[in-house]
Amino acid sequence: MIKLLFFGRLGDFAEGVSASIDATEGLTPATVRDALAADHPALVAELSQPQVLISLNQMIVGWDQPIFDGAELAFLPPVTGG
Amino acid sequence: MNSTIRIQNHDFDLGAEYQLLRQLESAVGAVVTFAGLVRDLEKNTSINSLTLQHYPGMTESLLQEIVDQAEARWDLIGITVIHRVGELLPSDQIVFVGVASQHRADAFEAAQFVMDYLKTKATFWKKVDQNGQQHWIESKDSDQTASDRWSADD
Repeated sequence: MIKLLFFGRLGDFAEGVSASIDATEGLTPATVRDALAADHPALVAELSQPQVLISLNQMIVGWDQPIFDGAELAFLPPVTGG
Repeated sequence: MNSTIRIQNHDFDLGAEYQLLRQLESAVGAVVTFAGLVRDLEKNTSINSLTLQHYPGMTESLLQEIVDQAEARWDLIGITVIHRVGELLPSDQIVFVGVASQHRADAFEAAQFVMDYLKTKATFWKKVDQNGQQHWIESKDSDQTASDRWSADD
């Protein structure tokens, strides 16, 4: 299983999205995003914004990073702390 | 160097944090502290409350990276970073950065560096409630500019 996390405003768009997905061959953040497109087009439009960062097991990665079983994949909009 | 990083719901005591930094070593000759508060206005409209979300685990790692970079860059004795999460009200304290060093320039610069990097790199997100309507705060270009100047010096 891959755990999915959507932070900040992305969380509002991700309502109804499953919190985890099955691990499959060739999975990357880009394929996860594309798989959401049919049911969650507004979310995918937000995820496609250039400022959105992706982390895999809490490390920033690119859209083509391979994802393996047991990973935690998070989508991070621009941060606004402090 | 002594570093303390805390993410917490409850408030912090600026005086107590200052005393801890002051008493780290007898070599401490300067302590710079910064406290960030919740403003009552967001885009000229008053707010009822502000809620801070973060990414547990990753936030602590990112703050530690920022502190490590400050330690590598300046001559420091101690750094404390405290960031609150959860629901806060106008004038509540949000964030504390305190830096102890032998000489003031190191403490001043490192404190500003830590805050500038925290604002653009640490995984916190703010949501405000204005007249019962909740919305997420947008990131500011001015924060990115403040953060970028530290890497432009290299």
